[in-house]
Amino acid sequence: MAIRPILSAMLRNKTGAILVGLQIAITLAVVANAVFIIMQRVDKINRPSGIDSENLFFVQSYGYGPNYNHRDTVRHDLDLIRALPGVVAASVTNQIPLSGGGQATGYRTSAGSDTDVTGNVYNVDEHGVAAYGITLSAGRPFTEQEIQYDENVGSKFVPSIIITEALARDLFGESSPLGKNVYDNLGQSAVVVGVIGHMLGAWVDWDELDHVTLHPRIPDGPAVRYVVRAEPGRRDALMLEVEKRLSAADFSRAISWVRSHEYYTERSYRNDSRMVALLSVMIVLMVAVTALGIVGLASFHVNQRRKQIGTRRAVGARRVDIIRYFMLENWLLTTAGVLIGTILAFAFGQWLSSAYALPRLEPIYVVSGIILLWILGQLAVFVPARRAAAIPPAIATRTV
Amino acid sequence: MLSMSDISKVYRTDLIETHALRKFSLEVKEGEFVAVTGPSGSGKTTFLNIAGLLETFDTGTYKLDNEDVSRLSDDARSRIRNQKIGFIFQSFNLIPDLDLFDNVDVPLRYRGMSAAERKRRITESLELVGLASRIKHIPAQLSGGQQQRVAIARALAGSPRILFADEPTGNLDSLMARQVVDLLDDINRRGTTIVMVTHDTELARRAHRNVHVMDGQVTDLQSYTTKPLVRPEALAAG
Repeated sequence: MAIRPILSAMLRNKTGAILVGLQIAITLAVVANAVFIIMQRVDKINRPSGIDSENLFFVQSYGYGPNYNHRDTVRHDLDLIRALPGVVAASVTNQIPLSGGGQATGYRTSAGSDTDVTGNVYNVDEHGVAAYGITLSAGRPFTEQEIQYDENVGSKFVPSIIITEALARDLFGESSPLGKNVYDNLGQSAVVVGVIGHMLGAWVDWDELDHVTLHPRIPDGPAVRYVVRAEPGRRDALMLEVEKRLSAADFSRAISWVRSHEYYTERSYRNDSRMVALLSVMIVLMVAVTALGIVGLASFHVNQRRKQIGTRRAVGARRVDIIRYFMLENWLLTTAGVLIGTILAFAFGQWLSSAYALPRLEPIYVVSGIILLWILGQLAVFVPARRAAAIPPAIATRTV
Repeated sequence: MLSMSDISKVYRTDLIETHALRKFSLEVKEGEFVAVTGPSGSGKTTFLNIAGLLETFDTGTYKLDNEDVSRLSDDARSRIRNQKIGFIFQSFNLIPDLDLFDNVDVPLRYRGMSAAERKRRITESLELVGLASRIKHIPAQLSGGQQQRVAIARALAGSPRILFADEPTGNLDSLMARQVVDLLDDINRRGTTIVMVTHDTELARRAHRNVHVMDGQVTDLQSYTTKPLVRPEALAAG
């Protein structure tokens, strides 16, 4: 099939082609960057948390009466929860992963160092590792004897600590952290007894989200939070059961709330999810409008060239030749559009990167966009092309 | 060369049936120049469409160049139109966005010829019609007569066995019409069979034979020609 005559015909009739070509170019630029942003957000939402998220729920109790005994309440509550059928493990906890609220502190490798590596601190008891469903890549969980209970924790450090591999790498490089000391900013030390393969902290947009430590400590009251890990499929029923049982216990306290971990992840990732939905709708609309533009231009050309198509058929074009002609013409138009669109896409990506501190657009998204638009163009033009091929050759002899 | 026997063609709509051709029979010998005349609505164009394989017919038999073309597939009909038939249309039917070279090239590309062979044929046929110097012009830059000569060049470039002309001078003034008819005459003398539909009796007189069509049937066969019928074998011999 001849490219040159099609190109020269397009150049003599270029207004419609330029408009649709520009539409294709803008679509590529926007869609490539939008898909890139979507994929980043989806990766963020779907990144592994390192915990048994779907089976976890959290309970907050708040003591208020003059007879409230925080230590007895915690002990009684945890005994009650752990005894319930369907509970895998339960622990106290001071914060909730990916909830948006938590506690962090700086760690050092020597008492005199003034360089901190920040870690997100979870205070848990000896059931903490099991309750979160964390996998230790080295070392052990806390023992009951290691758990600190201080009514005035203040500035007192813990004797042992469990840290994530990511934090360990930043503190000790590639050497094993097990048995080594980490120091707080007062120079107090804790021995690393366990290493977590992967776990996330509280703030979804924090760039050191995987810097996590577990401290063997039951936090002071009057508020206390528990993390409860249910057997698969039993979480929702257990949430109701735990709330009912704890509320019925004879203590001077109230159950503030019982929430699944899903509640927090959904809340924390809400903006990301909305961005994904918004950009997805925009992509669909842009692609649909571009496809309609191609269909419109091709249909216009078919109607405008009925006599010409009939003449081509009369001088020997088969139906498939007419279909090929329109598909090749569209391919050339799309190719011109995506060439301009590639430049626009990278320029747009560069601007987004500098204006919003986003990563640079990866070429694979532009290449995928080009392939998508080629396929879209060919699909969009196929119906008008078939209509063109159905034009009878006898139309060539009609004078009107 | 062309043998039609009892060809019938009926156009049907929901309300009416129009009998465009009724048991239409015609023989055209190789090397002949036949004019088909008749009033508007007589069936001339339907005959030309069927003869040129632009349309199918309902009943009858049609042989073109000794090949029965009555029940061919659409692709086979396209192939025969491309390889054996040349068309000249009343409105020239040039493609306005293509220059003369590319216009003449259109049927040759569908034949899958090499670029060199196509270029040779295009140049030769444009030289034959006297327009080789305008090869990069587009049709809008030419007069009506020149456009029709380009259309003739397009029809001839594929070395057709038979040329069908549909009112070839219908859109031309008398001077240009004479030039075009002279050209057709010359082409016929070189051995190409020509069947021309026209309502112009003066033009019809230039043909070897005149076929008059009325109400979809051949009503009269006359020969106005005084010149001998020139056959390709005669040309080759001498």
